[in-house]
Amino acid sequence: MWLPIFGLIVGLVFGLLTDIKVPEEYANYLSIAVLAALDTLFGGIRAHLQNIFDEKVFVTGFFFNIVLAASLAFLGVHLGVDLYLAAIFAFGVRLFQNIAVIRSIILKKSNTNSPEKIEKS
Amino acid sequence: MTGITLIVGFMIAVQFQTIKEPVVRDTRDTWELREDLINEKKLELQLINEIRSINAKLDEYENETSESKAEVLKDTLKELKQEAGLTEVTGNGIILKIASVNTEILLGEEPGEVTSELLQRLVNELNLYGAEEIAINDNRYVNTTVIREINNVLKMDGNPLNQLPIEIKVIAKDASTAEKLFNYMKVSKSADEFFVSNLLLNVEKPEKAITIPAYSKAVTIHNMEPANTNEGGDS
Repeated sequence: MWLPIFGLIVGLVFGLLTDIKVPEEYANYLSIAVLAALDTLFGGIRAHLQNIFDEKVFVTGFFFNIVLAASLAFLGVHLGVDLYLAAIFAFGVRLFQNIAVIRSIILKKSNTNSPEKIEKS
Repeated sequence: MTGITLIVGFMIAVQFQTIKEPVVRDTRDTWELREDLINEKKLELQLINEIRSINAKLDEYENETSESKAEVLKDTLKELKQEAGLTEVTGNGIILKIASVNTEILLGEEPGEVTSELLQRLVNELNLYGAEEIAINDNRYVNTTVIREINNVLKMDGNPLNQLPIEIKVIAKDASTAEKLFNYMKVSKSADEFFVSNLLLNVEKPEKAITIPAYSKAVTIHNMEPANTNEGGDS
């Protein structure tokens, strides 16, 4: 369970230290990709807590969502329609739902007094 | 899973860095904007003039017969020589004299010595305030001139400058620039700095005809080579 968090921290530190900057015109795509990644991540956590976690689904979903979101934004730019809003909306709603489910599961677990469950990721 | 979170972390960090870039606000007021505008206009004018003269020269090159081509080339050479400081120049300018402070004021202190830093600063200041040509003790100051101490003797391009007073001739663009230069130099920081070193910097009134000699030595150029002449004539 701690390995993914460790990975997140390492990724953050690595990104901050390398001082990489995305050009202004691509910042939009990256923000959407980040949103998609976060959505997938929380979906993964939810699935994990519901014991229906599947590595393959998670990994493919992660990359597929990112690519889809970025290409949607790209298409939107070229069509002159703010299509990235659709991605933001979809991911935003899903993000909230996932977090709500995660919260309710954790609450349930703490109510049944079995919060400590050793699970492998 | 770890790999994915690593990527997520990295993406978030990069996004952070991208967004973090502070927006530089334009805090100039009307007056500063106007001044900037004037400066830019001046630059534009200068560039346009340059383009015009270069175009004229180009026309000359193209239109004239082969005999007068040599003439044009000679003209260009002359101009370039003038720019490089290889010709004698006469014009409006001022004369600065570096002398020692009176012994009465010194009260037993040693009379001052001119250091390379002082002189370099003075030359920089002169250039800043519109000097076109400078000669120190009748040694022409050109782009490649070095002022430095060799064995504790101040030398400019190898000519010693250890005898006071030192005379600096400066030519400005025109009479009004010379006047301005004179006024600037009267209140310049250099004068104070010279005085701290027990030296006096006397600025003399602008004169109409100051003659500055040509650079007497060969200009040594290390990092420039003639362009490949075989492929000339493209432009």
